[in-house]
This record gives sequence, structure tokens and C-alpha cells, in this order.
Amino acid sequence: MNEQRTLTLTPALIGGVLVGILSGIPLVNCLCCLWIIGGAMLASYLLIKDSTARLTSSDGAIIGVFTGIVAAVVKTVVELIMTPLNKRFFQGLMERFAEYMEEMPPGLEEMFDESAFETTVPRILIGLLMSGIIFSALGALGGIIGISLFQKKPPQPPQGAPNVPENTGNRQP
Amino acid sequence: MSQRNRIALVYFLTLGGILLCVGIIFLAPYLKSRGSGLNAFAYLFFAPTCHQIPARSICFFGHPLAVCARCLGIYIGFLGGMGIYALRRGFSAVAMPKVRTLILVTFPLILDALGNLFHLWNAPHWLRFLTGILWGSILPFYFITGVADFFIQKKRLKAGRPENIS
Repeated sequence: MNEQRTLTLTPALIGGVLVGILSGIPLVNCLCCLWIIGGAMLASYLLIKDSTARLTSSDGAIIGVFTGIVAAVVKTVVELIMTPLNKRFFQGLMERFAEYMEEMPPGLEEMFDESAFETTVPRILIGLLMSGIIFSALGALGGIIGISLFQKKPPQPPQGAPNVPENTGNRQP
Repeated sequence: MSQRNRIALVYFLTLGGILLCVGIIFLAPYLKSRGSGLNAFAYLFFAPTCHQIPARSICFFGHPLAVCARCLGIYIGFLGGMGIYALRRGFSAVAMPKVRTLILVTFPLILDALGNLFHLWNAPHWLRFLTGILWGSILPFYFITGVADFFIQKKRLKAGRPENIS
């Protein structure tokens, strides 16, 4: 059990850091929640690869939650670093739009006004808290899906041996 | 607490969570239409997981919803999937869906998302919404299974029974 707990953190760190970086980069983060689910699935895959024990869906949920928490922290840090760059990039983009388009797409100006780039401490903390909650839930989901997809099938018992009931980490027949 | 009650508890807590999420999605534009500053928190709640691009969001009370059309489909699909889960599985046991079912419902969403990402096409709101609903409807079968299994395993560990016996 201790060995399994030690293994749980490394895949979650790898998946969480990767997802946090991708989620924090503008334009790349357009895949929304699919990043965090994909990252948690990656963490599940790495955990299965490194584990000798057969894993259950609850193991997927746990590693997914850890992945989500790591991703939320990393995403917040990446966004803090990227905010001045984002501001310059999107202001440049708005100027280009204004040159070539008679009318702005609806909602675009509002989306990129000054308030969108504010980095006050309360805003950062609230963002981190909300990211943590949502990423944990989505991470749990991704981890469970990952276990379902990547878990190796149990070895077939030799002919004549009694059937052993499957645990809830396995799919229904 | 029996296994059945644990599964039911996970189910109803999840149902409460998804109802809250869907409520906030629709509350955000309503609050904005009324000039309430609270709408910022509603939009901020979904900001980590949705690009919230107004052109890709359905409008409600004259303002875009807190999530895009695809994400709205996923949340609504999840809510619908909760109903299907209760009817198909009940609360007596948990089991994961088949992989081919997951692939079947995921494929349209991935295809549409990649097509839009690489500018092969620009899908209308209704198509994004539908692909989201399809995928969202299977998610409760994984979420409830995994979370309920966590609490069942925890109970078994406390009782001193080995983990992998169902």
C-alpha cells in the first residue's frame, strides 16, 4: 500500500504540470476541459504502467484529483507569468482587427478590455480556488476513464479453475 | 452505511453538483442583464475550463451563457446522463461502461473539435451542443462508479478486508 501511495504522486505531478502549462497558454487553452481530462488520463496510464497491483476506478479518481490540484496551481503560475505578454498580444490583435474590419465581432472588445488582464491578489486566489475545485472534479473523471481504458484485462484462469469475481475497476461484461 | 446507500449518496451529491453548475451557467447572463456585479463570479467559476468566447456561446437574456455551446452540451448531457444512470443501473452496484461505447460517443466531439481547431469547418452552435450532449451523457457512468468505488474501498479497508474483493 505504501509503495502504491508513493507511485501515485509522480504520475499526478507529470500530468498536472503538463496540463497546467497547456491550460495557461492563450489560444492553446481553447480545448477547455479536455486538457485536464486528458492529463488525468495520462496520469492514470503512467500509474498503471508503474504499478504491479491491479488498480481500481477509485485509484483513478484519487490520482485524477491530485492531477487536477497540481494543474490548477501550475495554471495559475503560468497565467501570472503570461499576463503581461497576453495583454500586449491581444492589444496588438485588437489593433489589427480595427484596421481590417469595419465592425468588431460581438463581445470581442469586451472580452479583451483592461479588466480581463487584472492580476489582483483576491482575483488570483479566487481563480486558484475555483480552478482547484473544477480541475479536481474533471481530473477525477479523467482518472477514472483512464483506468477503464488502459487497465490491462485480468489473465484468463486456466480451464477447470474456479472463476474469481471481478472488482469494480473492471467493465461490465 | 450499506453499499447501496453509499452509491445513492454519491449519486445525489453528484446530482446536486451538476444542477448547481447548470444553474450558474444560466444565472450568469441573467445577473448581467440585471446589472448585478455577481455575474463576474458566475463567469469566473467556469473560466478555468471554458474559453467563453461570446461568438461560440448561446445567448440568454441578451448575454452569452457562462460556457460555450459545446461545454453547455456537456453539462446538459451530464445532467441527462444522471437520469439514464438511475434508470439503467440503480444503486445496487457500480460498473464501468464498455470502451467501445465511450469511443462511439467521444468520436463526434473530438472530430468536431479538431475540425474547428484546424479551421477545416466552423460548426454551428447546435452541432457543438449536440456533440457535447452525446459525450456528456456517458460521463456520470464513470464519475459515479469511481467515486462510489472510492468510498466502498475505504469502508473495506477500515473493516480490515483486502481491497480487490468485490
